[in-house]
Amino acid sequence: MSRLNRFRIVGSLLLGVLLLMGASDNSSRIDRLGHQMMCMCSCSQILMECNHVGCTYSDTMRNELNAGVDAGKSDSEVLAMFVEKYGTTVLAAPTHSGFDRVAWLLPYIALIVGLGGVAFVVRAWHKRRVPATVAATSGLSTADLSRLREQARKETDL
Amino acid sequence: MPQIGSFVLLLALALSGYSFLFGAVALFRRDSLSAVITETARRAGIASFVAVLIASAILVTAAFQNNFSIAYIYHHSNIDLPIPYKFATLWSGQEGSLLFWSLLLSGYGFVLRLRHKTDERLFAHASVIIAAVQVFFLLLLTFAARPFATTPGELPLDGAGLNPLLQYPEMVIHPPMLYLGYVGFTVPFAFALGALIMKYPGDKWIHITRRWTMVTWGLLSCGIALGAHWAYYVLGWGGYWGWDPVEVASLLPWLTGTAFLHSVMMQEKRGMLKTWNVWLIFVTFGLCIFGTFLTRSGVVNSVHAFAQSSIGTWFVIFLAIIAATCIFFYVYNRSHLRTEHHLESLVSRESSFLFNNVLFLLICFVALWGTLFPVLSEWIQGHKITVGPPFFNSVTVPFALLLLLLTAVGPLLAWRKTSLGSLKRNFLWPTVGAIAVGILLIATPPSWGSVFGMRPWTDVAYFYSLIAAMLAALVIFTVAAEFLRGGRVISGHTGRGLVSSMMLLGHRNTRRYGGYVVHIGMALIFIGVLGTPLNRTAEKEMGFGDKIDIGPYSLVSRSFTQDETPNYSSSIAILDVYRGGKLITTLYPESRFFTATQQPQHVPSVYSPLREDLYVVFEGQNQDTGRPIIKAHLNPLVSWLWIGVLVMLFGTVLALFPNAPVPVRAVAAAPVTAGFHAPTAPVGAD
Amino acid sequence: MILLVCGLLTVAALFYVFYIPTTLQLGPEQTRAAFLRERKDAVYENLRDLNFEYKAGKVPDADYATMKQSLEDEAAAILAEIEQLESQGAAYQKG
Repeated sequence: MSRLNRFRIVGSLLLGVLLLMGASDNSSRIDRLGHQMMCMCSCSQILMECNHVGCTYSDTMRNELNAGVDAGKSDSEVLAMFVEKYGTTVLAAPTHSGFDRVAWLLPYIALIVGLGGVAFVVRAWHKRRVPATVAATSGLSTADLSRLREQARKETDL
Repeated sequence: MPQIGSFVLLLALALSGYSFLFGAVALFRRDSLSAVITETARRAGIASFVAVLIASAILVTAAFQNNFSIAYIYHHSNIDLPIPYKFATLWSGQEGSLLFWSLLLSGYGFVLRLRHKTDERLFAHASVIIAAVQVFFLLLLTFAARPFATTPGELPLDGAGLNPLLQYPEMVIHPPMLYLGYVGFTVPFAFALGALIMKYPGDKWIHITRRWTMVTWGLLSCGIALGAHWAYYVLGWGGYWGWDPVEVASLLPWLTGTAFLHSVMMQEKRGMLKTWNVWLIFVTFGLCIFGTFLTRSGVVNSVHAFAQSSIGTWFVIFLAIIAATCIFFYVYNRSHLRTEHHLESLVSRESSFLFNNVLFLLICFVALWGTLFPVLSEWIQGHKITVGPPFFNSVTVPFALLLLLLTAVGPLLAWRKTSLGSLKRNFLWPTVGAIAVGILLIATPPSWGSVFGMRPWTDVAYFYSLIAAMLAALVIFTVAAEFLRGGRVISGHTGRGLVSSMMLLGHRNTRRYGGYVVHIGMALIFIGVLGTPLNRTAEKEMGFGDKIDIGPYSLVSRSFTQDETPNYSSSIAILDVYRGGKLITTLYPESRFFTATQQPQHVPSVYSPLREDLYVVFEGQNQDTGRPIIKAHLNPLVSWLWIGVLVMLFGTVLALFPNAPVPVRAVAAAPVTAGFHAPTAPVGAD
Repeated sequence: MILLVCGLLTVAALFYVFYIPTTLQLGPEQTRAAFLRERKDAVYENLRDLNFEYKAGKVPDADYATMKQSLEDEAAAILAEIEQLESQGAAYQKG
């Protein structure tokens, strides 16, 4: 019940935010959408950030974007319009459907596997026993051992 | 001249080939000739450096003499190019930059071969490996990318000119720095592989290459930062990092190299992670070569203008040879890399280093994944897609924040074992401080400045910004606390004042405390970056007296002028900047038109107080009215990014200083304890 | 002219590479003693760090005792082997 409530609250909040965004002028929407697309003049810049003098693409594309938003198209309709005209490379990031989803998921899978792997390794290395590379102290007489330990202690005191 | 240049490169190839082949043969001979052959191989390596140096000098001289009979000079220079940029022609194109790679590599090899007395056998191995890498680059220069190829047909009167994007002071130092970093990783790689091949007992290769690796890392960091700085002040789009494949290519070895700098400590102190370290440096070197390949092969689209050519195949083959060599010697000698200790505790500096390393590698993987995903998508889906900044930003930020958290916690953990109690105690005040910073950022009125009055619940980007701010504060507080704690111990011991004790503390373990300073620099860099989601822009066509309002600033157009130089003509807008009705400064955004290349270029004008940058660009002119179009960006906190880089470099330099000796106490003064096995508290312990 | 320069450069390189007036011997291989001294330095460094971290309040008393003990054992073993090698070396030189 409480979880359901929480969903409702989150849902209505989201709705509120969406409505607020709708109520605000189109410029923020244009800016947001323009940041989700690339300029196609092969400058590899985000559409809204492309600033070549005499770039033949960015102005046209921005005008198309303005027109699309003014025509009352939804975000996905605007993006689809651009994909149709310029190809899939116009979107600045992989989409969330089909094979593109792999691009988004793999980093998080890698994160889980990586952190899990380290946690496992830490535990395993904590338990393992390692053979000594330098002869153990067992061959030493007690007197020698004490003397040498004392030497080490003196030489490393702060 | 071009003929001599080509010949000298051929000579260098022969000398490197000799240094590699005969040096390698000598390593496996056990007779008296072995020493003689090794010496000739060493000298051949030194001579090849001189040969490559002569070749580079010829190319630069040709640039100064406007010798357009050399195709490379014709394509990358022109008569009116200012003098410093004539130097830059050496690395501004494909062939020249490969020659420059080769020059730096043989330069490193030269230094290494001069210092061979340190450990002749190990240095001989490293020298052979460096010669092998050198052979590859000289083969490229001789057969695939010839810098001294002549211009076909009639001798041109003037050159095609240097790309205007590169005509900027940073461009004269950014590529050399980056290349010094890239190439520098060859040295620890050569020592690591050499030590593995000869089954060198102990970790001497790490001791020998420690400073080398740190210098290389510092130069690479500096190169990346200069690249960002150049992008910010030259490209004029208001940002400094665009996740372009070439930027990513420089970041990849930086990430693995940083992981390596941390994980070698595990080997030096505890004899652990030997296999990991060897592979980490193999991979770092491989990524340096891979980055060079990525930039030039045309596999991925990039703004960095290198001619796309067939040399990609050469790189693929070379990378395969590197991988095969590394795998072979690892499998053959892997028993040599046996670990010497187990982990005493789950909560220790050691385990934090493991997490640190995996996070660095994960970020590296994600960056590589995003860069290569378009290629993968084309294979599988049949169409190319773009993986741009929105992807990288949203995916790497959480990883980077985790790493920042670890940077804060790591220094509080003791080697071997840390009790949770002490961790809690040492963590308490820094955490309180970090939370206070968070509350301050939320509770303050937005009128205080762009980052104040944050609303982290409205956008995930703001949330990340807030977390980044708190974690950066946490890092700074824990490092400060660490200095204080250490200073107190020294002060209790020596009776000095706290400040001088902290200085002594740093001096006694320059590497650790230099490293902590680098951490502070890193935290400042995060502070510089975290303002990005709060960036604002405004654009307007400006007649005289027109005004743009952005944040607390008003830009008023005062005048508009034009200027001519032999190299370019420029249009400049003169804008007065007001804040709260008061004139603060005047900005001069400029648009240049380069005569030789017929290309335009913006030069932004930036006012940078610590809280935010006011970044103004001359975007263009309205064709009808002739009035300038001005775009203004308000970028919070960017100055901290550059400050952070400087602090980081300062820390790196600190870490390079030798440690002050710890005075060994006179034997008579030492306490005599009854039972030697009983744990004795040292003098001055409380 | 070009041929002359190229020829001179080649001769100079060959002369530098192959004219070695003195007789040469490769340096010694890494000895066990050198390896042990390196190890000793590492263990000493660890001991100093442990002392320091203890005094800085990062290590509780009980942990400090056991860790110090194990590090001192390690140091003692290395010191013992160094002493042994040194006495052997001395005996070898006398004989």
